[in-house]
Amino acid sequence: MTSADFNGNKGQLFVELLRADDLSKSYDDETAIANVSFSVAPGEILGIVGPNGAGKTTLLETLAGLIASDSGNVLWCGEPLPAPRRKEAMFYMPDGITPYQDRVALDVVSFFSSVYKRSQAVISDTIAAVELAPVLRKRVSALSKGYNRRLLLAIGLLTPQDVLLMDEPFDGFDIRQSRNIIQVLRHAAARGRTLILAIHQLADAERVCDRFLLLAGGKVRGIGTLRELRTQTALPEGSLEDIFLALT
Amino acid sequence: MHAARLRPLLAKELAEITGGRALWTMLLLVCPLVGYSFAQAVSLYSEASATASQTPGAATNLSPLDGILIPTFGAFYVAVTLLFPFVAIRVLGQEKESGSLRLLLQLPYRSSTIIVTKLAAVLAAWALVSIPALSALGAWVVLGGHLAPLETLNLVFGHVLYGLLVGSIALFSTTISDSAATAAIIALATTIGSWVLDFTLAGRSGWSAWIAELSLTQTLRTFEQGLLSIGLVLGISAVICGLAALSTVWLPPGVSMRGKIARSVLCLLVTIAALGIATQIGRSFDVSEDRRNSFPSADQQLLATLRLPLLITVNLSPEDPRYIDFKRNVLGKLERAMPNVSVVVAGSRQDFAGQSDAYGQTQYVYGNRSDVSRSTSPREILPLLYALAGVQPPAAAPGAEYPGYPLVVNADATLFWFFGGLPLLIACAWWRSRHPPAVKLVAFEGGQS
Repeated sequence: MTSADFNGNKGQLFVELLRADDLSKSYDDETAIANVSFSVAPGEILGIVGPNGAGKTTLLETLAGLIASDSGNVLWCGEPLPAPRRKEAMFYMPDGITPYQDRVALDVVSFFSSVYKRSQAVISDTIAAVELAPVLRKRVSALSKGYNRRLLLAIGLLTPQDVLLMDEPFDGFDIRQSRNIIQVLRHAAARGRTLILAIHQLADAERVCDRFLLLAGGKVRGIGTLRELRTQTALPEGSLEDIFLALT
Repeated sequence: MHAARLRPLLAKELAEITGGRALWTMLLLVCPLVGYSFAQAVSLYSEASATASQTPGAATNLSPLDGILIPTFGAFYVAVTLLFPFVAIRVLGQEKESGSLRLLLQLPYRSSTIIVTKLAAVLAAWALVSIPALSALGAWVVLGGHLAPLETLNLVFGHVLYGLLVGSIALFSTTISDSAATAAIIALATTIGSWVLDFTLAGRSGWSAWIAELSLTQTLRTFEQGLLSIGLVLGISAVICGLAALSTVWLPPGVSMRGKIARSVLCLLVTIAALGIATQIGRSFDVSEDRRNSFPSADQQLLATLRLPLLITVNLSPEDPRYIDFKRNVLGKLERAMPNVSVVVAGSRQDFAGQSDAYGQTQYVYGNRSDVSRSTSPREILPLLYALAGVQPPAAAPGAEYPGYPLVVNADATLFWFFGGLPLLIACAWWRSRHPPAVKLVAFEGGQS
């Protein structure tokens, strides 16, 4: 570990696991993200919060090495982590995909489990945690949006990488379902896994994340715990929504 | 990170390709296509056999390779050219369109491993779609027909290489395309364009001939002649590997365009170099049962002992039918039989304007002796060469002549197999693939809390 500072929220020493340093990406003349820098600690849930088009997905895909950044670096425990090696450290679960839609859900889960040599107990627990069992016999193409999202969550949770990046993990869930999934994600973080979640629903983000990176127009507008952001915006009782509006 | 296992990836690729409609639709279309060609081929072969039974010696011209195998596999070739790209595109196209590729690329596999596994799935798909053509071979044997193992295997091997070539073109076009539809257009433009190129430029000389040689169809010609050419096999393998390497370069999305172009140029240069080396390998084996690409064995053995350089200067234009006949019956055989043969084609017909006497002559220089002949027949050329070398012509070996395999038979019954039985089996297999056994689900359903 090469750097550490103080995490104001939990009163703990902040140990840096992953750092994004000045990441920028443009498509033709349009800037998707500009000079984005942040870091995360082991077991932390970081929410990348912003409206549609803020650059959340581009940031996640650049971090995961699925998009070549124009500039900037990603550091792992202080050491540069080149794009081809990012998959050793993190797994990115995109939004809006229907993986292997002609296969039944169990085949898809089994494929990812067998690649990572997950035990049957782990698979069963994961399926139970995301409540996927009722649709295991169904083809992925026939799954509802909510169950497709549960399948993606199950795949993400079965991967062993230290950092899990997820794009809109609550999309397709109602309030009750979102609460259950928040518990599942918190449980994963409690076991030491770092989660970086791109969320546009601020209420969901506030419930699940330890820290927030507020993104708008591809630029970082604020970063920190809810308490730090309230201090920064002088809104002591402000919600994440109030803070976001104040900063953008 | 632990070492990734190949088995689940391969199983996934096979399940993906057998799970798509393209493969089964192609199989159902290939059945009647191959079946009709086979029945027609048997009918024509039977007519020729009936005629041969009344003409002594005519049976030696009846070879199942020419009469049955090539027409039957010719229909399969058409199906592979036109339909197989759609099957091969699926191994990547579906993942690209559904977004699954972004998950696949994050698994602990190299891009090259993913591409090789996908090519293996393409090969498996080819094996499945070749079932009707292979069953035609079985039907021929059941009807009492003769199959020479070596020449049959050689022909099938040629079609395997052709299938892989088409598959690797489709795979590469999918890698560089945004959608399966665009990939299909690129792949079909290549395969059909190459097909058109072949018959448009056939028999031309110069650049046209050189371009025609690039046609994918040319890859099969040598195998259909009963030849196993090491240079050709290596050349096709080099192109397949080159396309696979290009697919590997273009598959990962997180690489800059400049980086991809630089690596592609490197791949192209290596492939071109490998092709250049392959074209220099003249070694080939005559695996035809009738030894159509070789002189009689006694001549072959004697010619192999003539170690001095033989220079043959042919005063014929390449498109002249006499030259084509001469190349097939004499030059090609000499190049395979003798250790040191050089052939110079003097030029086009215009080069001989005003020198009509020279046109048609062929000069043979062996050691310090030379001779000239207008013949294109080995019966006259071989004695000429023996005279130049100062050796006695060998005695003909008795009983070495190809007997021919005439067969008068009606293949109409096989149409029930190709138009009924086989499609029914394929439809059942398709249905079965869509309804996997449910036993394995129990363990996980029991795990819910």
